[in-house]
This record gives sequence, C-alpha cells and structure tokens, in this order.
Amino acid sequence: MRSLGAGFWIALLLAAAGFLVVPSLIASAPVEPVMGFVQKIFYFHVPCAIMLFLSTFVCAGGSIAFLFKGSERGDRLAVAAAELSVLFGVCVLTSGPLWGRKAWGVWWQWDARLTSSLLLFLMMVGYLIARRYGGPAGRKLSAALALFAAINVPLVYKSVDIWRTVHPQTTVVPKLDPRMRPAFWSAFVLMTLVWALLLTIRVRLERARTELAALRLDADELAEERQ
Amino acid sequence: MTRTTTTTMTATWKRIRTAALAVIALVSWSGAALAQQFEKVENLPRQEVPAGRFVAIAYGIIWLAVLAYIVIVAAGIKRVNQEIADLKRKVDRHGPKA
Repeated sequence: MRSLGAGFWIALLLAAAGFLVVPSLIASAPVEPVMGFVQKIFYFHVPCAIMLFLSTFVCAGGSIAFLFKGSERGDRLAVAAAELSVLFGVCVLTSGPLWGRKAWGVWWQWDARLTSSLLLFLMMVGYLIARRYGGPAGRKLSAALALFAAINVPLVYKSVDIWRTVHPQTTVVPKLDPRMRPAFWSAFVLMTLVWALLLTIRVRLERARTELAALRLDADELAEERQ
Repeated sequence: MTRTTTTTMTATWKRIRTAALAVIALVSWSGAALAQQFEKVENLPRQEVPAGRFVAIAYGIIWLAVLAYIVIVAAGIKRVNQEIADLKRKVDRHGPKA
C-alpha cells in the first residue's frame, strides 16, 4: 500500500488546528436573539448538510465513471463517498431534531426539507445495502441508485424555497450576521478538511481491499499450479 | 301533461329541500364554531428545554460519529494490510521453485 501523501498530513495538521480554533470562535459568536443558545448547533449542522450533498455528488461522479467507462477507481471513490453520505446524513438527521425540539417544540415535522433529506439519506443507505447484498450486479445497481440520489440533492436544497416549510430558507447563510460569519466559515472549512481526510483514508482502504483480492487470486492460481 | 308537471315539481322541491338542508347544516356548523371561545389556561407548568444540553449532545453525536468512523476505517486498513502481508509471505514461501 502506498504511503499517505504530503497533502494528507497538511490537511490533518490544519484540521487539528481547526479543532483548537473553531470552538472558541463558536463560543465567542453572538447568541441569536430569537432561538437563543440552541442556534449554535447551526455551526456544524449546516456544514454537515453540505458535506452530505458533496458526498452524494462525488458518489454520483464516481458511479458515472464506473457505469459508463468501467472505471474501478471511480467505483472505489463512489463507495467511499457513499459511506460519507451516510455518516454526514446521521450527523444532520440527529443534530437537526435536537435544534428543532428547542426551536419548534417538536423533534420532527414531515415538511419538505426534512422529508426529502431523510429520503436522500435512505437512498444512500440503499446504495450501501444494494452494493453489499446485490450479488454480482450489486455494484451497477448501487451506481444507478447514486445517480437518482444526486438528482434529489437540488430538490432537497430548494425544497425550503419551493414549499412552505418550518425549516429556515436558503437565504440564512448569505444573510448571516457578520459577527457569526467567522465561526460559521471556520467550522465549514474544518468540516471540509475532515471530509477530505475521511475520503482519503476510505479510498485507501478500498484500494487495499482490491490489492488483497488480486493477491488472493494469485495465491489460488499458484496453489492450482502446484497441484 | 299534468303528471309530467307534477313529477317535475316534485324533483324541483326535492332539490330545493336538499339545498336548504345543506345551507342549514353549514350555517349551524359555522354557528357552533363561532360559539366556541378560547379558554385561558393558567398555572400550566412551563416546559423548559435545556438548550445547552441539546447543543452539547448535537456536537457530541457529530464528533463521536466521525471518530467511530475513523476507528472502523483504521481497523479495516490494519486488518487488510495484515492479510496482504500474510498472503505475500505465504506466496513467497510456497512459490514456484525456479
């Protein structure tokens, strides 16, 4: 297995620095007057949602490369990104209800944003299930599912503008209080770095698995030759 | 001729009666709704939702999930690397005699 590149270690150092800086920036950001202290969930809830979207797009990109060009590299990238979609989906769908319980008085509302986000998450879970249990066609089935999930992403994003929902609209980030921006953008950069690091190590694992499978084939052939 | 007129009249009266009943039902429904008044409820226990705890739980879940994922992937890399090393050793040991 090839060693990790310099980019990985730089990203790791930056992420470590981010873990020291971001909490203090979030703590020093002003408390939102309407929702109060619970609004601080926003600083990681929104970056997690963006990482969910990004992972789904990367998964779809890898799946397209696999489906139409037979790229094994694309397939490895797709499965790594699909797992990250599920991971960040869990983060979004747990931090959101905690925020909602305080802000709306309920854990969950079947409104357009929440429901479409849940559907996106379930589609990515479906990707992993189809891949694992779909048999020989599992990889192609899951790759096709990833394309539908990617189509769902713009719908999830615009759902708050198209339908009347309890969820804040897409204008929240552009209209953010300037005193809250350093905390939000630093949290976003930190989350992006963490995402990139996770994707790198997960792709590495997939590459190692491919190498192991090839070695097993070689070992089997060798055993047959010896018999 | 007389019979036809009587039949038409009966049908018309039936329609009028149905419409009148519908109007009465609607008006009485609205009247009942208007008659209802909000009753002020006092001394209800105020529900305090602890914001600080929710923020801590949300951040905790996010970072625990990320950490758990790192541990799982790292364990997977370690296991696969170990298997690769074992297999390479086996192939080298039992490889074809040159």
